[in-house]
Amino acid sequence: MTSPQRYISRRSAVLFMAGLGLAGTLAACGSTPSTPEASTGASTTAAAGPVELTLVTYAVTQAAYEQIIPKFAEKWKAETGQEVTFNQSYGGSGSQTRAVLDGLEADVVALALAGDTKKIEKGGLIEPGWESEAPNNAIVHKSVAVLVTREGNPKNIQGWEDLARDDVAVVTANPKTSGGAKWNFLGAWGFKTQTGSDDAAALDFVTKIYKNVPVLPKDARESTDVFFTRGQGDVLINYENEVLLAAAKGEKLPFIVPDVNISIDNPVAVVDANVDKHGTREVAEAFVEFLFTPEAQEEFAKVGFRPVDPTVGEKFADQFPKIDTLFTIADLGGWEAIDKKFFADGAIFDQVQAKIGK
Amino acid sequence: MADSSLKQPIAAAAPKPQGATSGFQWGKWLLVAFVFGYLALILLVPALNVFIQALKGGLPGLVDTFTSKSFVNAVKLTVIATAITVPLNTVFGLCAALSLANKNFPGRSLLISIIDLPFSISPVVAGLMLVLLFGNRGWFGPLLDANAIKIIFALPGIVMATIFVTMPFIAREVLPALEENGTQQEEAAATLGATPWQTFWRVTLPSIKWSLLYGLILCNARAMGEFGAVAVVSGNIVGKTQTLPLFIEEAHVQYNTQAAYTASLLLACLAVVTLVLKYLLERSAGIQSKGH
Amino acid sequence: MTSFPPSSSQGFWHQILHASWPWRVTWLYLTLFLFLPIAALLLKALTLNPAEIWRIATDPVAISTYNVTFFTALVAGIINGFAGLIIAWVLVRYEFPGKRFLDAIIDLPFALPTAVAGLTLSTIYSTNGWIGGFLEPFGIKVSFTRLGVLVAMIFISLPFAVRTVQPVLQDLEAEAEEAAWSMGASQWQTFWRVISPPLMPAILTGVAMGFSRAVGEYGSVVIIAGNIPFQDLIAPVLIIQRLEQFDYAGATVVGTVLLLISLAVLLVINLIQARGRRFYG
Repeated sequence: MTSPQRYISRRSAVLFMAGLGLAGTLAACGSTPSTPEASTGASTTAAAGPVELTLVTYAVTQAAYEQIIPKFAEKWKAETGQEVTFNQSYGGSGSQTRAVLDGLEADVVALALAGDTKKIEKGGLIEPGWESEAPNNAIVHKSVAVLVTREGNPKNIQGWEDLARDDVAVVTANPKTSGGAKWNFLGAWGFKTQTGSDDAAALDFVTKIYKNVPVLPKDARESTDVFFTRGQGDVLINYENEVLLAAAKGEKLPFIVPDVNISIDNPVAVVDANVDKHGTREVAEAFVEFLFTPEAQEEFAKVGFRPVDPTVGEKFADQFPKIDTLFTIADLGGWEAIDKKFFADGAIFDQVQAKIGK
Repeated sequence: MADSSLKQPIAAAAPKPQGATSGFQWGKWLLVAFVFGYLALILLVPALNVFIQALKGGLPGLVDTFTSKSFVNAVKLTVIATAITVPLNTVFGLCAALSLANKNFPGRSLLISIIDLPFSISPVVAGLMLVLLFGNRGWFGPLLDANAIKIIFALPGIVMATIFVTMPFIAREVLPALEENGTQQEEAAATLGATPWQTFWRVTLPSIKWSLLYGLILCNARAMGEFGAVAVVSGNIVGKTQTLPLFIEEAHVQYNTQAAYTASLLLACLAVVTLVLKYLLERSAGIQSKGH
Repeated sequence: MTSFPPSSSQGFWHQILHASWPWRVTWLYLTLFLFLPIAALLLKALTLNPAEIWRIATDPVAISTYNVTFFTALVAGIINGFAGLIIAWVLVRYEFPGKRFLDAIIDLPFALPTAVAGLTLSTIYSTNGWIGGFLEPFGIKVSFTRLGVLVAMIFISLPFAVRTVQPVLQDLEAEAEEAAWSMGASQWQTFWRVISPPLMPAILTGVAMGFSRAVGEYGSVVIIAGNIPFQDLIAPVLIIQRLEQFDYAGATVVGTVLLLISLAVLLVINLIQARGRRFYG
């Protein structure tokens, strides 16, 4: 029953099965085309064989990039004779940032806020000074915060101030689960501090607003769903581009663009470590440059982003009402200071929630 | 045990308990109604909603989604990942069950609890664990990088995440069956001169085949539908590392509700297919569902 | 060889040293796919100093999420325990039209992706949904409240409750019941004294497994919940929040707390089940 011969044959049977499993896994690993490593050998010289570029960006930009990428590929081929194919990844800005930091080999990152790009810079994958490597401080498109109301605006919401009223229920995404949702909070805060009030008044204001919040959806998409499909709340704070995209896809509701507003600036950057590794720097930089051309900017405008190119901005002027008082992240102190002041553990947002919860 | 099939007639022939037969019927139908009601609230109505949402755009919408390249690639990837996961987990499940069944040693309950753990670990945490191990800044990160091996953000990572989340199914299904069967038949085979491998293949395996199949079907269904852990480790590269559940999520975020529900319909149908399969297999064996 | 009972003459350590290959495969697999990841988690959590770990683990919001998560999961488990018993009873003992369909659909929560489950449950139970709209006039709000969290948890833990009781009920020897009846016990007495005791471990196991699954669930709960701290924010969402802050270590701390509590619960249940086996096995 336990003779050595039988042990050996059983052992080899097990090893064989385990080996099959491992072999299968490794084979799949080796054959999967998702490894950008494939392009390293091909592009040591420019305009050589085909090249693969990995673009990592956040979710709602897909509609625009789907149009832009073929245009760029065509242009690049005409100019250099090189074929360029794109690996595209769309996801939450924060998750994408973490993915890149953990090894997702992006050549170009287009995230929802410069704070995320800075995190990648801090991780050593992007060289400092990336802001000046592209036009307009590397901001490729923008948006603003808007207040979506019900049909006919029964609660008569006219601006930020109305959100603090007792009879208004506000829906806004959770800035702790969605980095992009920080814009909503900062818009409300800045409404006070950028028009002469001090921090105490601003704190009071946002506390009142968040007291009126019955649901904190995990991100912008969820908040549209909660407000529109599941009928919660009287007013929704969301980004203009999100609201325009939803309207285009059939979820249409009236909205107000407040006069005092925050400039939602979306950056784009080349990931130095990866492009040098893949040898794709030239293509990547050309792609980023292309994003600022009127051709590409129009695609962004079509899906609801405010273009940074002035001529395209003119063209789409009716879609994007002008803002009287537009403040930026710089006005509020920069992302690092903002994160520390508002969104870190025990910082202002946590304090507001604690106050409301008790 | 083989006797179970005999128990049905015995129960049926058992004397009815005191109380009028008509009273008993009332009780029965009340309970049945409760079950239907409870399941309707919790399962049936939500499932119906998925069907309806998917079919809202009519047939052209369905065809559009099913023929889009990213959808087809997502399905392919899901199937491949599952096809690797399920056999590996089966080998583990059988080995674990064989090691634990009908044995007594200190720490046995602890080992079973440990095997149960993947059920309770939040899928995102599972993905996070793998990133901590194989990510850029993880334990094996530099080693993998130096050898140009990709685990995270490639198929192996997806497979590992799926393995983690579906690990306990087969072990937990087969173990009770082995325990119930006891060891008499294996002992008998040994006394007749069978080698351990022959014993396993010819005696043990056939006696647990239904539990094993049930475990396989559940493992398969769960593996195909896994979202959380895979979302963290896949990188979600369209057409390459995007599984079907990730495709659904992305379609949803892009406000392509039609595509999202359509793909969900496919996954839900998959669930039904595996369940029907299970039922057919059970029926062909002439025994009722044994469950866990 | 592997299904031979261990001979009493061979000590525990002897068995370890001459381990069978299923044993080796089991341990190798567990090490590779379970222990290693868990070790990574624990060690990452330990990169913080103990004071920091304590602060994160016992933060008021965190504590309220443990409360919401574990308490709601427990309630869901208990409700499913009762419902699961009834459902299993009905499926095993009775015949009725649609029985096979019901039996098959019990496993649906296993197969449906959690996000889809969350979306559809949330839509149906919101105030303008099919069921939610029906409940609204009574003042009952499900979506975006703890009740919604409860519904989602019931959904995903239902299969456990049913499938652990079903086989035991099926194999329950009818002779004991017959004997009880023939000696004049009422239906109720029969149920309590003869049928329940052997069922208890199985019911408890189903409750516990469903409980632990509900504790870890994120995808469906986060969509149906309001995610308001101190009201219906669950612990897995807290983990996501830490990750959004790029605080991996903090996320692993919360993850570890969840893991330890879950392990404790599972251990208790499996010990009870082990005792139960000896009782009626």
